Amino acid sequence: MIEFRQVSKTYPGSEKPVVNDLSFEVLEGEICVLVGPSGCGKTTTMRMVNRLIEITEGEILIDGEPNTAMSGTQLRRKIGYAIQQIGLFPHRTIADNIGTVPHLLGWDKGRIRDRVNELLELVGLDADEYRDRYPAELSGGQQQRVGVARALAADPPLMLMDEPFGAVDPITRERLQDEFLHIQENIKKTIVFVTHDIDEAIKIGDKIAILKQGGVLAQFDTPENILSRPASEFVSSFVGADRVLKRLSLTRVSEMDLERANGGTDELPRISERITARDALSELMGSGQTKAVVEKEGENRLLTFEAIEALTSGTSNGEEHSA
Amino acid sequence: MLSKILEVYARPDFPEKLREHVVLSLVALLVAVAIAMPVALTIRNTRLGAAIAINIGNVGRAVPSLAILALALPLLGIGFASALVALTALAIPPILINASTGLREVNKDIIDAARGMGLSGGQILTRIQLPIAAPVIFAGIRTSAVQTVASATLATFIGGGGLGDLIVEGYSRRGPEILLAGAIAVAILAIITEVGFGALERAFTPKGLKIAQKRGR
Amino acid sequence: MSNPGLLLLQDVLEEPELIDWEWLRENFWEDIVPAFQGHIFLSFMSVAIALVIALPVGVISARYRKVYPPVTFVTGILYSIPSLALFAILISIPGVAIGPAPVIIALVAYSLLILIRNTVAGIDSVPPETIDAARGMGLTNRQILFRVELPLALPIIVAGIRIATVTIIGIATIGAYINGGGLGALIFDGINRQFPTMIIAGAVLATGLAIVADVLLLGLERYLRPWARARRT
Repeated sequence: MIEFRQVSKTYPGSEKPVVNDLSFEVLEGEICVLVGPSGCGKTTTMRMVNRLIEITEGEILIDGEPNTAMSGTQLRRKIGYAIQQIGLFPHRTIADNIGTVPHLLGWDKGRIRDRVNELLELVGLDADEYRDRYPAELSGGQQQRVGVARALAADPPLMLMDEPFGAVDPITRERLQDEFLHIQENIKKTIVFVTHDIDEAIKIGDKIAILKQGGVLAQFDTPENILSRPASEFVSSFVGADRVLKRLSLTRVSEMDLERANGGTDELPRISERITARDALSELMGSGQTKAVVEKEGENRLLTFEAIEALTSGTSNGEEHSA
Repeated sequence: MLSKILEVYARPDFPEKLREHVVLSLVALLVAVAIAMPVALTIRNTRLGAAIAINIGNVGRAVPSLAILALALPLLGIGFASALVALTALAIPPILINASTGLREVNKDIIDAARGMGLSGGQILTRIQLPIAAPVIFAGIRTSAVQTVASATLATFIGGGGLGDLIVEGYSRRGPEILLAGAIAVAILAIITEVGFGALERAFTPKGLKIAQKRGR
Repeated sequence: MSNPGLLLLQDVLEEPELIDWEWLRENFWEDIVPAFQGHIFLSFMSVAIALVIALPVGVISARYRKVYPPVTFVTGILYSIPSLALFAILISIPGVAIGPAPVIIALVAYSLLILIRNTVAGIDSVPPETIDAARGMGLTNRQILFRVELPLALPIIVAGIRIATVTIIGIATIGAYINGGGLGALIFDGINRQFPTMIIAGAVLATGLAIVADVLLLGLERYLRPWARARRT
């Protein structure tokens, strides 16, 4: 749905480009995370999609058409926009804030009001309570939810999000991420998401674009592939030395292929099938045992170290293991 | 003494002097707003323009009121109109400074969010920048108003009329009650201006901003 | 003097040259320089005296907040009295009307509000953690005041001095009305004698003095605030 064709950005007076010859494609309904160290041009890249920053070379196509086909203002009204500092309008109520773009698009008041209520509930805020409040009355986490609601207001097919969960504490952030993923399951928007946090990228992204300093694309792939087959030394060190463990957090125990337990399970620790393989590994190691019992579809199955290791087969520097 | 002062207020020429003073101050203020605001709006997004405006404003604020009024005399002559021109010039700096800084100091993230959502430049100005900058702008107008009422006292020296006439009359004729009557009248007028424009400032502060101020955000 | 007459611009243009350079050259040392010196004396003397009063009052007000509202009230009232009136009143009081005293008293009264307010604001601006750290290191209250609070409050205090000085230079021009001397004397004499050269000389010099003082003190303020210097607007 969004196609980057050899996109570059160089500021006038500067020799080096901040974004260098980027080419990749974001498919409809996917979350594509742009991640990289400071100065890698990820935010600049995102802002070129809605032309807050203009491209110097190349083009960006949205649904096959160059994003220059209409005026910047009109383009932006079709794209949801959520930034780290949120930028809620302090002089307007929460309802007015959320209703900004629908209002610009000429929706009638009733439709806007219904949409505002719908969105507040969607982001987990009681509509009656928060509709008429002002931003200064809300906590950071609440403001961030309103920011997301505001970006969703006109039901745009495409959304740009720049560290939208950045300005809150880690616990709230994790909760916001989980809720966001849950919402995305239902609404299936196409999203370009910027973060500096590789863990967030892995958790959220369907595809990840890792950018290096100077806006160069280091790797564009699924989280699984990036973790198991990093394209370069840079990617490998950026994702972290614990990437094998990170890979484990991509799979839930419920998705694992486990053999049935045949009795003798009373002494073994029980592990929930809802947790990630990584957390399961942690629990198994902490239990002092080599096997654990997982209840799956009514049956008892065995979770072993071997089973977990099998998930990591195919890693570039690992050996093949059989289950 | 008090009764003598009150007698001055009962004089037939008092209402006229009061009217002159009010008209001088009010017209000078309104014209100053009409000049300063468009300038502030035009330069709101350029750094150089804002720097120039603020420097002009700062210099303008340092200039002694009497000097400008006095300069109006050889250049524009005696009378109400000259005083008006001088007072208008004096009234511009506080408004220009506050309007320029107020507009520029609107949080850049808010403007970025507005732009990213698809508000046009004009919409950002009228729906975002002006309402948020309103308290600062009105504070500037208030400062200018009080300052103008005080400076209008000096209009008497170039034949501009106003309550300053009473003060000068009281001084030269050794009539302390006349002098005090004039002085008290100006002081009360200044206080009314301060309080009145303060109320105006509060009226134009959006509710959301008042809440933010209270919470120290 | 209260005729609302309009003077036609033509008359002004027909007037002989506005500035009589001959006169300026002849009277430079006799009239202009003494006026200038007198003005500087009045202004800076008044600011100095006002500071001597305002600093202690400010420090006390910052410490004992209850004192602050009445102090603001009194100085605020003084500030709102039109300067012309205050001068005229002071000179009517026998015993006060000696030499430059009434002008200086009035000028001091006008600057108290801004100086006290900025002293308090300056002291308020010192982060409590800094004072806490100082106390924790064993400094006495007096040492904290002189070595921590006042130095950190200095930029804001100097800002107040700047505004007060510029205001006073302006008001001092009015003091000439009650024979206080200074550049205002040139202006008033010029008005009385209908001699534009004097008016212009007095007005331009007074304006110039105010602007120079403003710029110099602004420079001092910026110098004392290195973190503000580094910031780009």
